[in-house]
Amino acid sequence: MDASTIGLIAFAAVLILLALRVPISFTLAAVAAVGTFCIFAFRTGTFMPERAIRATTSMVFSNSFDLIHSYDLSMIPLFIALGHIAYKADITTRIYHAARVWLSAVPGGVAMASVMGCGGFSAITGSSIACASTMGRICTPEMLRMGYDNRLATASVAAGGTLGSLIPPSVLFIIYGIFTETSINRLFVAGILPGLLTLAGFVLVIFIWVKRDPAAAPVDTAEISYADRFRAAALAWPAFVLFIVIIGGIYGGIFTATEAAAVCLSLAVLIGVLQRKLTLTSIWEAFRETCLQTASIFFIAAGAKIFVAFVALTGVAPAIVDVVTQAELSVFWLLLSIALIYLLLGMFLDPIGIMVLTLPLVVPLVETYGMDLIWFGVVIIKLLEIGLITPPVGLNVFVIANVVGKDAPIDRIFAGIARFLSVDVIVLILLMAFPVISLLLPNSMM
Amino acid sequence: MLKALETFLLNLAVAAVIALGLMITASVFSRAIFNVALPDTIVIVRELMVAAIVLPLAAATLARSHVAVEFLANRLPPRAQAWLAVFGSIVGLFALMPLIYAGGREFAHNFTSGGFFYGDLELPKWPGRLIFLIGISLCWLRLLVLVVQDIRAIRAGDYSFADTHAEGLD
Repeated sequence: MDASTIGLIAFAAVLILLALRVPISFTLAAVAAVGTFCIFAFRTGTFMPERAIRATTSMVFSNSFDLIHSYDLSMIPLFIALGHIAYKADITTRIYHAARVWLSAVPGGVAMASVMGCGGFSAITGSSIACASTMGRICTPEMLRMGYDNRLATASVAAGGTLGSLIPPSVLFIIYGIFTETSINRLFVAGILPGLLTLAGFVLVIFIWVKRDPAAAPVDTAEISYADRFRAAALAWPAFVLFIVIIGGIYGGIFTATEAAAVCLSLAVLIGVLQRKLTLTSIWEAFRETCLQTASIFFIAAGAKIFVAFVALTGVAPAIVDVVTQAELSVFWLLLSIALIYLLLGMFLDPIGIMVLTLPLVVPLVETYGMDLIWFGVVIIKLLEIGLITPPVGLNVFVIANVVGKDAPIDRIFAGIARFLSVDVIVLILLMAFPVISLLLPNSMM
Repeated sequence: MLKALETFLLNLAVAAVIALGLMITASVFSRAIFNVALPDTIVIVRELMVAAIVLPLAAATLARSHVAVEFLANRLPPRAQAWLAVFGSIVGLFALMPLIYAGGREFAHNFTSGGFFYGDLELPKWPGRLIFLIGISLCWLRLLVLVVQDIRAIRAGDYSFADTHAEGLD
């Protein structure tokens, strides 16, 4: 049996094991280990298990240990910790409250404030699920209490939560950067304009929705003075400071993304302690949650790294590149095919799972076509973001459904999501058609 | 006993994350203010990363926070779902074995040969390998305990453990 046949069988085995609910990390590591063993055991034509065991264990260890034993990737636990600390220190919720106060008189203002709050939350932490979960607990119950249509109250936060993937810092960008060996700094900066474009699109959706159906969002009649508005905006200063340190520091070339994460985390803890929002217990609790989350993310990434090394041994990726090159697919059809595959996978799989499964095959193809990997990263993250809210498995939708319980059945949330999805698709098309949207800022970096 | 050990290792991981955050911050300020680089920051942070990621693995396994695709499995009867959870843990046991074997070999090699990182402090390589071995081995042990406990629960007609799942990570 040749290596590429073993590779194809391995891909089938991965899909079967994933369907059987075997955790992604275990699936990838186990299949890669068996596949590598088979390749080395039968390489010379005769069965040589001792040599294969040594080669397999070395490959498995070096790929997983080298991934974990990384200075640059320490930004993942640091950014995750920043998200937890910022939440416990009330830094993220104040962004929402500031937007909420300023937009109170605008029809649909609370929903718009929720989306902006999600944008602000995303600018400090890098997780869509965490964003939807946190903002869902704060914003959605308030909108439901005010008599908002439950589709609008839930869908705006579920969609807004996806901004966590695109607006830096983003865990998905970091993982994409690891597997494509592209600059995470440049990826972060590339996500800014597409993230803001998506945010503006979501606000527009709410505006049009409420304009056509005013009953969907009763206007808040409470009078809020300008003094209160400015006070609310002033209270949100820690979030702005953290965002400026992250983005300004990276864009200005003052420090790396890893250093930005560490400095901002120290700053957030300091602010929280000085404002008496954080205690030693809450800080320790935030770091414990961080460690559990980080361990799971890295375990998947380690499994994927092992799998990628195995795929390289099989020669499946060059074979696929050959097939596509011989088919003479145009860039348009290639991108359309990739987008459709990602959208389809996004309906069933977790974003990290999709990335680690597909990147080993897709990236060589994209490189062959001479596409920019930074721009392609933005497109991929946008596709994964869409997958977070598409039925039947829209993770963000399920997070919001868990938060609101019986107040909004899942089908009502998906009904509301459809309008936000239309904006996502438009933004995706714009990103694909005009790479400058993604590349303008990274190309002007110092 | 195992749970106490997992909690202890999780707390060590917390200390490692805090330490690496402080170390990088100190390095940035030291560079910016005094124009002096702290010695071997990169090596120390890399070693701390191993502790931060591998030591909580057993606790993460106990919390069943390994992400799986549940779309198809959730449509199966509870008993079948419970058996699939056991199957997933068994695959995990299998997947971790090469890591434990190679981790042990790497630790022994670096310990006996006195391997060290090039730098001002010439820090030894074996601590990171030992931490890796401990973390993965304890995760393997926790998976084994889960397999036994879950099979017992299935036999007793309790399938509730299969409902515990990770929320998603990105």
